[in-house]
Amino acid sequence: MAATVHRRRRKHPVPVARILVLGFFLILMFGPLYWVAITSIKPSDDFLAVPPVWFPAHPTLMHYTAAMFSYRGLQALTNSLIISTAATILSALLGTPMAYSLARFNTGGQHLAFWVLSQRFLPPIAVVLPIFLIYRRIGLNDTHIGLIVAYTVFTLPVTVWMMFAYFRQMPKSLEEAALVDGCSRWGALWKVAVPLAAPGIVAAAVFAFIACWTEFFFALILTSRNAFTLPTVFRSFLGFQGAQFGESAALSIVSLLPSIALGVLAQRHLVRGLTLGAVRG
Amino acid sequence: MAEELWTSEMAESISAGVITARVPRRRTFSEWSDRHFKWLLVAPASLLILALSVYPLLFSIWVSFVNYDFTVPGHAFIGLKNFSQVVFDGNARWSLIVTAILSFSDVTIEFFLGLALALVMARSFKGRGLIMSILIIPLFISPVIVGQTWTLLLQRPWGPTDFLLGRLLGHEVTVSWLTSTPWNFFAIIIADVWQWTPFMFVILLAGLTAIPPHIYEAAELDGVGAWRTFWFITVPHLAPMMLLAITFRLLDAIKLFDTIFIMTGGGPGTSTYSASYYLYTIGFAQFHLSQATAGSWIFLILTAGVIALLVRRLLRAEPS
Repeated sequence: MAATVHRRRRKHPVPVARILVLGFFLILMFGPLYWVAITSIKPSDDFLAVPPVWFPAHPTLMHYTAAMFSYRGLQALTNSLIISTAATILSALLGTPMAYSLARFNTGGQHLAFWVLSQRFLPPIAVVLPIFLIYRRIGLNDTHIGLIVAYTVFTLPVTVWMMFAYFRQMPKSLEEAALVDGCSRWGALWKVAVPLAAPGIVAAAVFAFIACWTEFFFALILTSRNAFTLPTVFRSFLGFQGAQFGESAALSIVSLLPSIALGVLAQRHLVRGLTLGAVRG
Repeated sequence: MAEELWTSEMAESISAGVITARVPRRRTFSEWSDRHFKWLLVAPASLLILALSVYPLLFSIWVSFVNYDFTVPGHAFIGLKNFSQVVFDGNARWSLIVTAILSFSDVTIEFFLGLALALVMARSFKGRGLIMSILIIPLFISPVIVGQTWTLLLQRPWGPTDFLLGRLLGHEVTVSWLTSTPWNFFAIIIADVWQWTPFMFVILLAGLTAIPPHIYEAAELDGVGAWRTFWFITVPHLAPMMLLAITFRLLDAIKLFDTIFIMTGGGPGTSTYSASYYLYTIGFAQFHLSQATAGSWIFLILTAGVIALLVRRLLRAEPS
């Protein structure tokens, strides 16, 4: 009898403990986001109130208009959209064929795959400094194209490795059947393998897009007044004590909503995305 | 293997029933592109990586041995002077210590919190999917915004943190989180932990759900206690995934830059200079580009061993 009770308790571990732990994490997770959201619609007079204003009596959208127009948030938003989208497409276009080749023909043995992957772990500072000097020489500094190309390279390891894992799980038989039916190798790739791998390609693209959208270091160094992206606008708020909190919060909200939405949509592929395909999840 | 047996040409001739004569030029091109198919597929991506990663790295070797400085004209060869200037710079050594302290604390805290969360979330229950979607949100936010968010929360006198702590502890709290040591370290660690605990959680959860349930059932039948089950079943089975999550996270943590840039600006003084932040200030605040490049090479070599280890592990983890 005692044994049964014991076993039952282990099978359904005290739900109270689970509720406490989850509650703790959810509050820690939501609290900061709530504070940003509230700060973005608070009138500036409320910032210094003690006790803090948890919900403003007179919500306002003035910080959003200020962030968009006085701090060139709108231009940053446009730049971020253009640059992230272009880099994502390029990365998928170049990365998918490479992943296919690595997965199907073991091209270059392990060395090529190793080499691509090692790019992911290079400290960005080691690459960005010389890229900055080279870009200065060839006039790519502070251009959309410059950042697009840099982001393409920076997201390639993710795309290649996610797709590499995906292709390896896909059966070869359909491509072989297509070859027997008179398809060329290129045809087998574009008409058979790519459509079959479409969900994987979309997932890889989503993670590449999020990586570009949230990237700061490359953008900080390679852009200034023209091709600056959303994260770099936060530089404008440095050193100002408190006065710009509303604007920075508004800009945070504008910037984090798209990437969170995309991320949650691609949630099913998250483990693969985080571990570059090493863990299936 | 099929790809060696079947060239598309053979496939074509079989499906057509006869070997068809083609326009010679087109035929040779398609033959050529077919023969080099696998290399043509990897060429564009490889060339781009060569142009934007390998070439800059090689170029930076040259930069690190000359005087490439926006404050000094010309690029004279100065040997190892750039390297020695970094090595003998107290700030450089301090920045390595800061990087080690911060990344070690970040990864350790994230690991244990992520493990706790994964254990709680391992079994299915009502609302698990929704909670899962909420818990992973920080992973999709720019570290800059995370830093800005915690600045809003912590900075005196605007942030609500000191007020809340005061209520909790029953006496007034006046901690300057961002401008006094050691609180600035805690502030940076809190922001990093907030953002990356879900990373550990997600990977460890994937590892937990992959442990075959019959092992637990067998342990239960044998009357093994919960702690022993955890130590002798969960931990050994989860170990490879733990190692993977920790190394992955560690490699990103040592590049720490964004939150420091936004939250403390390396300050007060140089107390929160991470290696990346130190190199950034040398290169882009003082414009000693050669010195910064030499420093990056030292940093790169210091981290290369860990990188190589992880990458080899990942290659082995790949399902064949």
